Amino acid sequence: MEAIIHMENVNKWFGSLHVLKDINLDVQKGEVVVVIGPSGSGKSTLIRTINRLEEIQKGRIVVDGIELNRDVRNIDAVRKEVGMVFQSFNLFPHMTVLENITLAPRIVRKWPREKAEQIAMELLERVDIADQAEKYPAQLSGGQQQRVAIARALAMQPKIMLFDEPTSALDPEMVGEVLDAMKELARSGMTMLVVTHEMGFAREVADRVIFMDMGEIIEEGEPDQVFSNPRHERTQAFLARILH
Amino acid sequence: MRVLKALAWSVVALAALAVGYVVFFDGIEAVLRWYFTVTNFTASKVPNFAHNLRLGAEVTIKLTVISSITGLILGLFAGIARLSKNPLFRWPAQFYVWVIRGTPLLVQILFAYNALPFLLEPLWKYLQPLGVPPIQDVLTPYWAAFIALSVNVGAYNAEVIRAGIQAIAKGQWEAAMSLGMRPFQVMRYIIVPQAIKIVVPPLVNNVIALLKDSSLASVITLLELVHQGQRMISITFRPVEVYIAVAAIYLILTTVLTFFTDWLERALARRGAAV
Repeated sequence: MEAIIHMENVNKWFGSLHVLKDINLDVQKGEVVVVIGPSGSGKSTLIRTINRLEEIQKGRIVVDGIELNRDVRNIDAVRKEVGMVFQSFNLFPHMTVLENITLAPRIVRKWPREKAEQIAMELLERVDIADQAEKYPAQLSGGQQQRVAIARALAMQPKIMLFDEPTSALDPEMVGEVLDAMKELARSGMTMLVVTHEMGFAREVADRVIFMDMGEIIEEGEPDQVFSNPRHERTQAFLARILH
Repeated sequence: MRVLKALAWSVVALAALAVGYVVFFDGIEAVLRWYFTVTNFTASKVPNFAHNLRLGAEVTIKLTVISSITGLILGLFAGIARLSKNPLFRWPAQFYVWVIRGTPLLVQILFAYNALPFLLEPLWKYLQPLGVPPIQDVLTPYWAAFIALSVNVGAYNAEVIRAGIQAIAKGQWEAAMSLGMRPFQVMRYIIVPQAIKIVVPPLVNNVIALLKDSSLASVITLLELVHQGQRMISITFRPVEVYIAVAAIYLILTTVLTFFTDWLERALARRGAAV
């Protein structure tokens, strides 16, 4: 079967800094891939290249059969199929929760308001905050905001979801509710690429864990293998630091 | 239906504005008449003095309003152009802001009135046969002042608008783009509605400054408020009373503008809760 995300010899530089080095990665439909690594390892940059929030200088990326290149139509087509959740939520502060979720489906997918709102309410139900629909983001807790952000991305009915450290900005007691929403999503068969430090989440739902350091994929494998029996010494050192 | 309703409201609002304008300046004229009477100006000349100052105030406010609107449009384009990745847009905008903010408004006004006609003369060679009136008739003190003031406030507005757009976190762009929105849609739905709240107070501040700075147009013989006052002084030799009256009118005009801004800020804040 053809991979839904195909990355081939991907290279990226920020000025003279080589942040992605010859990345080769295939993600299958329905697969949940967790990317770990020290800060500055390029893991956020890696997933941000998949919806072209970051441009690459060398290599190729094909998402759901669409080649990501300079062609704006291709970029638009990919972004419609790829949802993203950010560390800092990035909800639109001047809109209610419901407006946050319905805006893109209405103006990008051109759905009528009724359809967009109906789907938004179903999604809010799914992430368990339907009662907050008329509130503004600033009135919600961090955990609630991040669940709204997940619902907002899902409203576009993407085939792939990218998570860029979705729980790193949360107070500890709110991490669980966001991870629960993500686990539920993983079990529903969504293709997910998750940058996170939550090893418990990785162990529970990841099909594959990728360890990155200095812009390279150092090691990959099933969670149990990578966590319990890392082959590469850099992986061992990193895991020793974060697992204590 | 919604269009009709909006149209009807606009007509009502415009009518109210027109009536308010006349009542306001009639009021100012009446107060001036009373003021010049109690301060013992020649009774037969008081109506004339009061009326002239009123006309001056009207010129000042009209000039301020049209220059503000033009300056807002100029500032919007220049402010956005300054943020463009394309140097063909960015550099001219940067140059414009640099030159205007680095030179005195008085020089710009004198330039618009005295120098611009010479610069535009070659163009008029082609325009005049098409029925355009001679350059001296077009660049009257009023329109020269309008050009100088619009261009001037436009440069200051550009800085405000640039800062307002930059104040919206990069994450807002990224979130909107990741949802598949086109750059224009991001501007229209995400950036501008948030930036408006940030830029309105400093923009109105610029308008208030413009209202006061429009007094500089008196040097090119425009009969605005200050120049009317000076003419009155040259007849009556009573600078104390006249300048007090002139200053008081400016104060009233700026105070009205400040009230309007406060109201606008509150109205904007109501639409879309705390940021």
